[in-house]
Amino acid sequence: MLKIAGLVTLILDIILVLTTVFLMWSARKAVEHGNKPVYKVRAYYAPALIIALIAIFAFTITRMPYRALALTPPAATVKVTGHMWYWQFEQEGQPALGALPKGEVIEFAVTAADVNHGFGVFDPDGHIVGQTQAMPGYTNRVRMVLEKPGLYHVLCMEYCGLVHQAMIGFLTVE
Amino acid sequence: MEKRNRNATIAWLVVSFAVFIVMIGLGITMRLAQGLRIEIPPNTFYALMTMHGLGMAGGLFAGALSIIWYIISRTCKVSLAVSWFSWVLFLIGAVALLYATLIGGFGPGWYALYPLPFINAAWPSWATGVAIIALLIMGVSWLLYQLDMLRAMAAQYGASRLLAWEYIAGKKPAEPLPAVILIASMCAIAGALGTLSGAVTLILYLLKWISPGVSLDALLLKNTMFMFGHVIVNVCIYCGLCAVYHLMPKYSGRPWGVNRITAIAWNATLFFVLFAYFHHLYMDFAQNKALHIIGQITSYGSAIPATAVSLFGIASQVYKSGMKWRFTPTAFVLGGMGWAIGGVAAVVDSTIMVNSYFHNTLWVPAHFHTYFLVGYIFMFFGFLHDFFNSKAERFAISSFVGMLVGGYGFLSMFYLGGYYGVPRRYAAYTAIQVGDIANKGALFASLGALFAAVFLLSAIAFAISLFAGRSKATAEAVATT
Ligand code: HEM
Ligand SMILES: [Cu+2]
Repeated sequence: MLKIAGLVTLILDIILVLTTVFLMWSARKAVEHGNKPVYKVRAYYAPALIIALIAIFAFTITRMPYRALALTPPAATVKVTGHMWYWQFEQEGQPALGALPKGEVIEFAVTAADVNHGFGVFDPDGHIVGQTQAMPGYTNRVRMVLEKPGLYHVLCMEYCGLVHQAMIGFLTVE
Repeated sequence: MEKRNRNATIAWLVVSFAVFIVMIGLGITMRLAQGLRIEIPPNTFYALMTMHGLGMAGGLFAGALSIIWYIISRTCKVSLAVSWFSWVLFLIGAVALLYATLIGGFGPGWYALYPLPFINAAWPSWATGVAIIALLIMGVSWLLYQLDMLRAMAAQYGASRLLAWEYIAGKKPAEPLPAVILIASMCAIAGALGTLSGAVTLILYLLKWISPGVSLDALLLKNTMFMFGHVIVNVCIYCGLCAVYHLMPKYSGRPWGVNRITAIAWNATLFFVLFAYFHHLYMDFAQNKALHIIGQITSYGSAIPATAVSLFGIASQVYKSGMKWRFTPTAFVLGGMGWAIGGVAAVVDSTIMVNSYFHNTLWVPAHFHTYFLVGYIFMFFGFLHDFFNSKAERFAISSFVGMLVGGYGFLSMFYLGGYYGVPRRYAAYTAIQVGDIANKGALFASLGALFAAVFLLSAIAFAISLFAGRSKATAEAVATT
């Protein structure tokens, strides 16, 4: 997903730069009403853009994270509370948070005790798996499948004051 | 009259430019700290970050408003008194904010999410109070300034004509509506609504500061705060576009007026800019899902008028026009390109599915710094070059090359950081032990600081170019027009 997003951005940026260079180069000679072709291109561009946006919208909106994996009952539910400046994890029906099962749906019920924090889960290789805000007074439920065994790091993804940059939690996945 | 309007505009432009330069200094300091080149304590870092964000957004917005004020002052009777009064208020607010952040250490970030300013703060409570009042004063300043512009335009053209609805209805009015009036109206209306949303938020903050027992809703205030922030930064760019619409024809020799499509486009933009801010709340799963979906629709939607009308408009000004690549049109065209490049990153990130990965990584500052640094700023500088009738073409163009290299280099480091998942707003990355994020983060930051320094020097060179080549004769010519 990330790779596609990065690549799409890069390709469109290159097209924009090339178009700009071409336009500036075209201006070296003056043609009266020479800009007619621009309107011709636009007549194709506008509908093409609208169709492309609708298609991408339709594809991505059904993959919103809010109801992801909604149909599979989670193998574990973890209550996450953000505090200034640490993460507290509690597992339903367990005295302490043990290892989470690899490859299974996990539900995180995320809230905050004081200010806003951001619950960002990074896999053992340092790739972000998903995130949700931790907000006082609200519980945000997010489901994830943690595929790789090992130590996952939870980084704070919403600025929360003095020690925000070191507010790190750990989840073990086996 | 013309001269007095010019002077009032110069007062705003000078403040805006000076704020911009000083705030770059703070930005470079932050990047150096993240790159471990210098050491500053986290509370200082966050105070600098807060000042930088508010200073840049506020200082550039104020300058942008003065650009549209100047443009409309040529046909409408804007109030000089209001301009100067707003200017004084703005300065008072700016100085108070500098005091609250740099002396008081106020550091909850530019959008100061509730209740961060009030809990366990690393700074004294008075700094929070001063900052809230400072921002409120600035809000009043902008509101007065914008409302007076709307009044003046309505008096000249008739309130019902300002948004060019007659064109949308398919009528051909006897007296055409200038494009700049349509855009300036859109800016002032959206800007005033955004400012109001900010004012409401800040009044509630003030209440909380005075009586700490009050408890407010974090999600609601996040909505009102982002409505404010999102609107004013976007309106700032639209003001830059207003300058482009205004001046481009002078260089291309081609007219650029309002027609049905332009009218629809700017009305659509007004609608989109007010409702796109929902994309800032995608990761608030508790927010109603319908609002998230509206956020993605309006964010995607804003790409249509922006590209199909404004960018194609620039293209049709340029294509085979025989235009000479003097500083102003060059800066305008490349500013339009920078705006579009930032827009691509924004639209990608406004896809909810993608936002799960990019939200609050450095991708976010990457896209809005693109909009500004190589988008709005170039439009702003293009306007300044023309406004001051600068004669140092070569000098200005060479400074521009430096800004392109420094700007895009600096921005690439933000994009790379975002791509590799480096979180935004970290005073240092050293505590991150997963993957290679800490090393990558620091490396990109150091390089970013280097490129930003190139940008800073080039921007100073550009400022010098404005006056360097200005012969006495032209100065007098300007003064008497
Ligand atoms: C060369 C010029 C600039 C430099 C070196 C610079 C640097 C920075 C840095 C290092 C950050 C913190 C990034 C993070 O870790 O989250 C930042 C944030 C920010 N910058 Fe800039 N910046 C520059 C230009 C601008 C411009 C032109 C604007 C205009 C709007 C701007 C507005 C902001 C805002 C709003 C923030 C967010 C502050 C916050 O998160 O509270 N910057 N900038
Ligand atoms: Cu945090």
